[in-house]
Parts: sequence; structure tokens; C-alpha cells
Amino acid sequence: MDTASSTIQPVIAYIAYTLSTLERGFYKLPGSGVIERYVRSSHQNDPGRTFLELVLIVFVIRTLLQSRTRADKDGQHFIEFTPKEIDELVEEWTPEPLASPLDERDLSDLAAVPIIAGSNGPRPKLVNTGKSAYNLASLNFSGLAGNEHIKQRAIETLRQYGVGSCGPPGFYGTVDVHMDLERDIADFLGTEAAILYAQGFATISSVIPSFCKRGDIIVADRGVTLSIQKGIEISRSTVRWFDHNDLQSLEEVLMSVEKERKKKRGPLTRRFIVTEGIFERDGAMVDLPKLIELKEKYKYRLVLDETFSFGTVGRTGRGLTELYNVSASKIDMLVGSVAIGLCAAGGFCAGSQIVVDHQRINGPAFVFSASMPPLLAVSGSEGINILRSSPSILDTLQQNVQAARSILDRVESITIPSHPASPIIHIHLRTPTSTSLAVPLVKPGSHKPSNPLSPLPRDRPRFDIDIEEKILQDIVEEALAQGVLITKAKRPRGMEISEARPSIRLAMTSALTRKETEKAVGIVKAAIVKVLARRR
Amino acid sequence: MAIRSRTPSSGGSQSMFKKRSTQSLSPTMASAASYLSAVSQADARARTARSPTPTPTATPALSFASTTSSEPTTDIDELDEDDEKFISPLSVPFRPPTSEQVFNTVHTEFGHCASEEFRLTSAHKPGAPIHGHVDKDPPYYILLSTYISYLVLICLGHMRDFLGKRFHPKAYRHLMPHDGYASLNSDFDSFYTRRLKVRMDECFAQPVTGVAGRTIVLLDRVSLDYNRTQVPTGNKTRALNISSYNYLGFAQARGGCADVVEEAIKRYGISTCGSRLEGGTSELHTVAEELVARFVGAEDALISSMGFATNSTIIPALVGKGCLVISDELNHSSIRFGVRQSGAHVRMFRHNDMRSLESLLREVISQGQPKTHRPWKKIMLIVEGLYSMEGTMVNLPAIMNLKESYKFYLFVDEAHSIGAIGPNGRGIADYFGIDPRSIDILMGTFTKSFGAAGGYIAGKKDVIDRLRVKGYSGTYAEAMSIPLLSQVIASMASIMGVTTPTVSSSNSSSTIAIRSHAANGNGHLTDDEYHHPGPVSSKILPSWMTLPPELSSGEEGRTRLRRLAFNSFYLHRGLDKLGFITYGHPASPIVPLILFNPGKMMMFHRMMKDREVPIVVVVVAYPATPLITTRVRFCVSASHTKEDIDCVLRACDEIGDIMDLKHGLAPADRWSIDEICDRAVELVSLPEA
Ligand SMILES: Cc1ncc(COP(=O)(O)O)c(C=O)c1O
Repeated sequence: MDTASSTIQPVIAYIAYTLSTLERGFYKLPGSGVIERYVRSSHQNDPGRTFLELVLIVFVIRTLLQSRTRADKDGQHFIEFTPKEIDELVEEWTPEPLASPLDERDLSDLAAVPIIAGSNGPRPKLVNTGKSAYNLASLNFSGLAGNEHIKQRAIETLRQYGVGSCGPPGFYGTVDVHMDLERDIADFLGTEAAILYAQGFATISSVIPSFCKRGDIIVADRGVTLSIQKGIEISRSTVRWFDHNDLQSLEEVLMSVEKERKKKRGPLTRRFIVTEGIFERDGAMVDLPKLIELKEKYKYRLVLDETFSFGTVGRTGRGLTELYNVSASKIDMLVGSVAIGLCAAGGFCAGSQIVVDHQRINGPAFVFSASMPPLLAVSGSEGINILRSSPSILDTLQQNVQAARSILDRVESITIPSHPASPIIHIHLRTPTSTSLAVPLVKPGSHKPSNPLSPLPRDRPRFDIDIEEKILQDIVEEALAQGVLITKAKRPRGMEISEARPSIRLAMTSALTRKETEKAVGIVKAAIVKVLARRR
Repeated sequence: MAIRSRTPSSGGSQSMFKKRSTQSLSPTMASAASYLSAVSQADARARTARSPTPTPTATPALSFASTTSSEPTTDIDELDEDDEKFISPLSVPFRPPTSEQVFNTVHTEFGHCASEEFRLTSAHKPGAPIHGHVDKDPPYYILLSTYISYLVLICLGHMRDFLGKRFHPKAYRHLMPHDGYASLNSDFDSFYTRRLKVRMDECFAQPVTGVAGRTIVLLDRVSLDYNRTQVPTGNKTRALNISSYNYLGFAQARGGCADVVEEAIKRYGISTCGSRLEGGTSELHTVAEELVARFVGAEDALISSMGFATNSTIIPALVGKGCLVISDELNHSSIRFGVRQSGAHVRMFRHNDMRSLESLLREVISQGQPKTHRPWKKIMLIVEGLYSMEGTMVNLPAIMNLKESYKFYLFVDEAHSIGAIGPNGRGIADYFGIDPRSIDILMGTFTKSFGAAGGYIAGKKDVIDRLRVKGYSGTYAEAMSIPLLSQVIASMASIMGVTTPTVSSSNSSSTIAIRSHAANGNGHLTDDEYHHPGPVSSKILPSWMTLPPELSSGEEGRTRLRRLAFNSFYLHRGLDKLGFITYGHPASPIVPLILFNPGKMMMFHRMMKDREVPIVVVVVAYPATPLITTRVRFCVSASHTKEDIDCVLRACDEIGDIMDLKHGLAPADRWSIDEICDRAVELVSLPEA
């Protein structure tokens, strides 16, 4: 920059000259008055904008004149040290270890994670036992795993497109088969458009922050899954929570938000309701028609995560909208998983063209990540074709769910929070696991609303994670010994806004017959009874 | 109606912009303006006749393109995957193979190049200087015109918004509150998108088909409504692909790796149905994790189905409240996403500037946590091995020195460097000859060099085990699917080379011996002993997997690495010698060429695409880059032949003259394009300045 400083003066002179010429020219221009008025009025409407533009100009000049400055130290709390003192402090500082080793239970759980040899399906062979087992753990609701036709189409695609797309969608990673799958999903659901993400889990945590910004309002269910929690956290929006799957509580929160806004006379901000179709945490199902009614009444946009309901409920697997017979276009952002619903990979967000186009530029996990490998997109499209043409798949699945529920609902030592039609069935232990916790879970009669600012409900169910997890793991192992693969719902403890109650999560599949399902669930029931009896 | 049609609507102001920005540039723009008019004429023709766009550039003095210029390259309606009648330098090698040479790749996917001289092994020479990032300044008129371009764009944009809102309220409905809903997208937030990006929408999200290999097939499109929408014309164009992250050329539909993938799909299906901890783990996951650990030279590794999500789900499991993350200012969005989720405090330092890093370290350790001044629980430094927009290589030796004294943990995102650099393709540690085990966390993706998708994290066994349980992806995210796992296993094994167990795996280049599992380590070396970097024992690979001999011997893997290194150096040095301003390290396969003026982006893109041998490039501008350094980013691949790089250099040379882009080397030090092509080998082996 030595040469720079010597050249800088003529440059400044030049800028000044240019600016004044520009100004003179500007006023000579016909219509300059309009612009001037525009600047004035825009300044009146939104002084922030004028300010920002000014900042931009200043920034431009500053960058021109100097190299980037260092992050300035925040003056108030800054303590001056001599270099020697700093050396000493550096010498003294000892960091905590990067990761504390796992405890006994986590280690044994990790060692017990089932590993599947060969193809996964209704009765896979396990590496752990060397035997095959009925599979009520893997997510193969529609039974598309191992489908020969899909495999064939995937291989054909492999021979035409290779494996990876080697680029983000913006830069030569948009392959025709992606556009086909997006269109297929939109057609299937009946929305204007859809957008594909490369991973189901990453979808909603990217969709939320691409719309919800600082100052916007999100009203969310207290029982949402981690990916939604993270999406909300990243968005930096104002969050209000309503009780899990309690639309009355939702309405109260919506009213309180409205009241607050009226009181503050704040400007109209974007407002979103974020919830799940079938909840990952417990299999409860939201009452969609009522939810839509509320959303329309209070003028919120609805972000609905259908990860566990797309491809699993409704006559042909279109999800809650088909089950409740409401138009999918009423849901502003409908998020689902191609990986879970269609046994391929990735996730999608369906909605209006504007909603989808917005994400193509602002969705972080869409813009900054490679697109889905083409052969997986084709597998997804084939999955939709199969679901469309064979409603028997979802019939079988529902029959299996009913069969399982009719066995499990009669077991006294457990409770099942899941909806009767939910293909994931969570099993909680009923017995209070420790005498100190034997307080009634909810005090009857005293309906006092929870604090919407807190993600924790007022009447918190109490449970002892360690003890329950231990019992559940015993049940899982007992069932496996009898030839049924099931799993606890795994949770990264300590990482979520509230701890989910430990549960066993059964995933039903249409790839098993009703008889097989009854047999497998019967074994699970026997395992529950046996393990709980042993503990008494 | 009448008023509406007379107002200067989108069309009018757009052409105004073009005129303005071209006038404000430089004298050479006269020819650029004529180019633009030629382009718009061609556009008009394409719109009316839907005919393939003929190349409006002057006849290029291409040595090899002219050999085939009798063949109409625009005859693309017949374009077909197996149509070998269509002769173009893109589908036929420059030098026909001799009878001894057997190529088992498809030339359009992976170029045929038998000349051993066009190979290079790149490694850091001990003691050689390591440059940080150097900003090279262009002449002031370029800077000034760049700023003016932006100012003009901003002014025009606001003017259009102002007028549009009054005369076309329907078109702005989604920007204004309606029916009691706030606008989905505030007009301020979307200003950049609506007013700047839309102008050059044709450079982005180009739909393609087929393999993203050495060449790529574009699905042509036109916009009939000033870029509001793009409609497909139904035509296809095959173009030289210097844009995909296909560093080692494993994006292939044929060949040993694709055969393995096909076999795997037949045996295992597609999806593994669920998350890793809940019944979605296949035996192939364990194989791939073991292989990745050996490949990068770490104790253990875990894999996840998306590279972006690897960062965003694992970083929160490593740091949290009371921890500090020190992050390079140019770190990838996935890293920022993960750090923001973690709740840790973040500080940034100037891109790859070790002095700025050291003074920041001294400040943060001595000051402790804000306000309370309590010492930090942990400090984690997150850097990338190779920066995807700059091509700079992280100054790892200096960081290792700092790590000694300042005791921070080091997280290196090797998304772009793994497989792409280092004499053995093992990434940044391999390049600098640093023990990979001295780096705490090695992260990388399979999207780039391995032609698959997904990411990994490697490090000490207890750390990785913890991440398996506490990272979100193990519990919630779908596990990596079978085709990707098998592609990773096959491509990685073919870079490493495979030994059968009878052959002793002792290797002279051994630096680290890895015992199979520390748990049963009683000091006794078993067969599983592994030397890094070295070949992998076939015992850990699936028994059904067979690689053709050229892959299992590691021969082809080595060739790919050496071709990539040659191509990277050649393109980088070639552009430098032509007089362009480029960024980054010559060993980096990412080669950014700085354009400065935003208006040149689209022209550069168009002129490259409309050549006789179409070339597709990636152009990026603010906000992905600093405001002024709008750039073209080339991604070199092992699949390119030397002639392909010649072709790119020639194209850049011509376009650079037309667009006044050569502001780097003084004219006296430049080489002519023919000289560069002829003396490529010499150019590549020049010592580093
Ligand atoms: C540094 C870095 N990390 C992570 C990623 C994300 O990887 P993927 O595309 O596999 O999601 C990228 C991709 O561009 C990257 O550049």
C-alpha cells in the first residue's frame, strides 16, 4: 500500500470531482425531482434504509482507502496486560479435554447398536447375533426398502449419471432428475412447487431460518424434535411455546401474542406456527383442520414437519393432508423426508412457488451443499409412483399398526402416547421408577397455562432417565434374544431444550404381514412383561 | 395500460444499465459492447427460431478446435450419451490412442491422456515459504468502476422498486403486507436478489444431465421475460466442465467404482432405513468408517450422510457455552451454522493471517470470557484445509506451532483438500508432511474428490465415540445410503491401493503404525498393523468387492493424483503468466480468476459458454465474495487432459483481452499463449516464488 498512499490524493480529488459532476448532471436530468422525492419519502418511510445506503457508501470508500481493520476490542471490559503477563496467562491456562469419555451406559448402548448384514428389510440378518430378526426398528414404513424395481431404476441411473452430483444446485448441481422429483412431490401433494434438500434432518433446520429472521415471531410446540429446535434457535426469532399437541394452549398463546402486539403498537411482523404432523418424540398427531383454522384466524404462516407422516398415513401416503382431506396448499411450508417416506434419501419442502424460490437462494443447507445424488432422486420418484399406484401398501401398514396397538394397549405396565394411526409407536413405562418421583404427573383440575416464554411446560412430567433407559434397554435386548429387533428412541442427552421421556420406539412396516406383525409385537409384549416382572 | 407501457419498466432500465456500466469501464469495452449486441442478437434468434445459438465470437485461433471446426459443434439435437458420430474435441481425444494404450474410461467422463510428462507430484518442500492470502490490487480505475457499477445497480434497483410498486402493485404483492400477513420477504432483504442477481440468473442453477465429469451436458434454456423465468429450449449442449468439484475424476458412470456400486445396490438395496443408532447401520458403514480412519491417518472416524450437516451437527457436540471458537473469516457457511447452534462464543481472524490469529489468541486467553473474565473451558480453532472461494491453503505448519504454545484444539475442514492435495491425496497434513494425529479433528466430505456425497469426522477414538452418541446426526439423521457408501469405499481403496493379506504391508514411507483397536493393545503387533499412508489390507474391505487390477494396485489412483496436481499448477501458472490476477496456491485445484466489475461476470460466463468448444464456469460475486473481488472460479479435475487446460487458457486469453482483465503480471513478464502451451511442463516445474 506504499504506492497507494501516493496515488490516493489524485484519486480523492477525482472522486470529489466526479461526485460534483454527478450531482450537477443529476439535477439537469429530467425527472431528477422524482428521485429526490423518492429518496426523501423512502427516508421518511424507512430511515434505516437511507442509513444503510449511506453506510454502504462509507464502506465502499473505506475499503478503497484502507485494508481491513482488526476486530476492535470492547473497551469497557478490556484489561490491559503487558506481553509478559499475557505469556504467563497463556502458560497457566489449561483447557478442558476436548471430549470427556463416555460413561458406562453410553458405551454399552453404543456396543449394542444393531448392525445389519446385507440388505435391510422386514427380516434382516444382524451382525451382532448372526441371526435374522423381525425388524421393528428400521424406518421402512412403506416397505420400499429392497424393492427390485427401484434397485433396477437406480442402477440404470447410475449408468447414466454416475453417483455424486459434485456440485451445489447453484453451480451445475441441478440435474434433470432433481427437477423431476421436485415436480413429482409437488404433484403428489398438490402444491405449486417443491424443493429438495440432500438430507432429511437438515431440511427443516434450514427451512426455518431461511424465512424467520430476527424480530419475527415463531409459535412452536413444546414437543418438537431437535431439528426444529435447532432451526428455531438459528433463526433468532422471538419464540413462544405452546403445550405439546394442545391446540387450546396454542390459541391462548396466539391471543397473548396479538395482545402484546396491540399494546406495543409494533409493526406487522412475520408470524409462524411451527409444529409436526406426527411427532418424532412420541408419535402424537396434530389435529390439522383445527390447526389450519387457528392459523387462518390469527393470520400465521404454518411450517409443518411431516417427516413421520409423509409416506406413512393417508390412503396413498400423502400424509396428514390426505388423512384429514385438507388441501396441502393451505400449509405454507410443508416439510417432509424422502429418506423416511420413500426409503431413498434427503428431504423436501413443498409450498407455493414464491416459498420454494425463496429457499433456492436463502436456504443455507440448499445453497451451500451438494445436491442429492441423481440415483437417489430417481429412487424417490419411483417410490412416489409405487405409492400412487398401490394403495394396498398403506392399507397393510395401517392394519399392522392396528394389530400392534390392539396387543400393546392391553399391557398394563406401559403407556403409549402415540396416536392410534401413527406408524411409530412409542412405549413409556407406566410404573413410577423411583419412589421420590411418585408425584402425580399432572395435578387434575388446576389448569393454569404454562409460561409461553419457556420451552418447559408448567406441569413437567417427572421421570428418572437413567433408570428408565436401563429397563428399556433390557427389554430391547430381551426382544432381540427372541428374534425381534427393536430400539430405544436414542437421544443426545443434555443437548435438547427439554429431555424427552425415555421410550421404546417401534416402527411398523407394510413389508410384514399382519400375522408376522402380531407375532413380533407379541414377542415385544412378552419381553416387556418379563423384564418388568424381573424388576419387582 | 397506456401509462404502464410508457414507464421505463424492467426492459428499459436493464439496457440502460448495460450501457452505463460499459461506458464507465475502459476503452477496450468498445469491443465488449459489440459483443453484447451480438449476444443479444443471438438471443433474439434463439427466442424466435429456437435454433441453437451460433458462436458470435470472432473465429478463435484454437489449435485443436480448428482441427475439428469443419464439424458443426452446434449440431446438438442429436446429442446422445453413446453417440460417437458426433465429433468434437470434447468427445474425441486430441491424440488418438496407440494400439498399446488401453483406456478404460469414457473420454467425455474422464479424459484420455497417456503422456507421462503431464504429471506432477506436489508436496510442500520443507523450508519453503508459505504465503498467507495476498490481495492483489488492480488499477484504480477498475476499483472505481466496480464501485460505480454497484452504485448504479443500487440506484436503478431502488428506482425500479419505487416505480414498480406504484404502477405494478401486483408484481410486488409478495413484498408488501397483505390480508393481515407481513410480507414473506422484506423488500430490503431481497433487494440484492431481485435487483442484482436476477440480471445474471443465467449464470446460476443451470440444469444439467448426465455425469458431472470432464464434460457436462447442459439443458439449454432461455428467458423470454427478462430473467423472471427460464424456459428450456429442449436442446442440449455438451460443454467442457471446469466447474464441478470432481477433483479426482471419480464422477463416472462406467469403470471399476461404478461396477462396485452396482453390485452393492444389488446386494444391499438403496436405503439403510433410519439413523445410525436406531437400526440404520449397515455393515458397510463400519467398513467405510474404518477405511476413512486409515485413509486420513486417524484412530477412528464416523460418517454422516451430508457434508453440510456433518459440520452443523457435530460442532455443537464439541463445544458449548463457556467455550470459544476461533474461526477464519472465510469459513464455510456450514461451519458458521454449526458454531451458531453450539452456543459457543465466536471470534474471527483475518483470512489465513497467522499474525492476526496469534494476537487474537493472546487477547482471548488473557482476557478470558467476556465480562466475567473466567478462563475459557476450551478454545477450538476451526480452519479449512483449502478455501473454496480463494484457493488458499491453510498455513498448517504455523498453526501447529501456535497450537504448541496456545493449547487450543484444532478442527480442520478438509472438504476441498481431502483427496485433492498431498503426494498421497491424504489432504493438507499429507501436503505439509505433518502427522495427522496431531490434529484433533479432521473433517471432510465425500462430495468432492470421491464423487459421492456425505461427510466424515476423524480423530481420537474416545472423541469419535462421544460424537457418535452426542452428535445429532447419529440419533436423528438418516444414515448414509448404500450407493454412496460403496462409492466411497471403492474410490478410497483405489487411491490407497489394496494389498492381499499374504503380502507384507510394510512400507518404506510409514510414519504411523495403527493398531486395530487400542482396547486389546498389549504391545503385540498384529496383521492389522497399518502404516500411514499406505495400502489397505483387503481384509477390511467387503469380501464381495472386486476392483479391477489397475484400481486395486493403486496405480490409477496415483495417476489421478499426479494428473490433478499437474493440471492445477498448469492452469494456475498459465493464467498468471497470461497476466491475470488469480488467488490461491498453485497446488490448489481451485483457481479463482478475479474479474472485479460485476458486469463482467455474465459476459465472461456467456463468452465461455458460446465458444466453439463450450466451457462452463462458475462466477461468483458479493455476497459470496468481498464486494469488489467478483471472480470466476475454476475447479480443475484429474479428468482434464492437458489439451483441455490449453483450451481454457486460450479462451481466457481471448476473453481477457476483450474484457480488459489482465492486470496481474507486467506485460514484459508475460508469456504468449502459444509459449505457455508449448512450455507447459517447464512452467509447471518452475520453483515457487
Ligand atoms: C468447507 C466446506 N465444508 C462443508 C461443505 C459441505 O459439503 P456437502 O456439499 O457435502 O454438503 C462444503 C461444500 O461446499 C465446504 O466447502
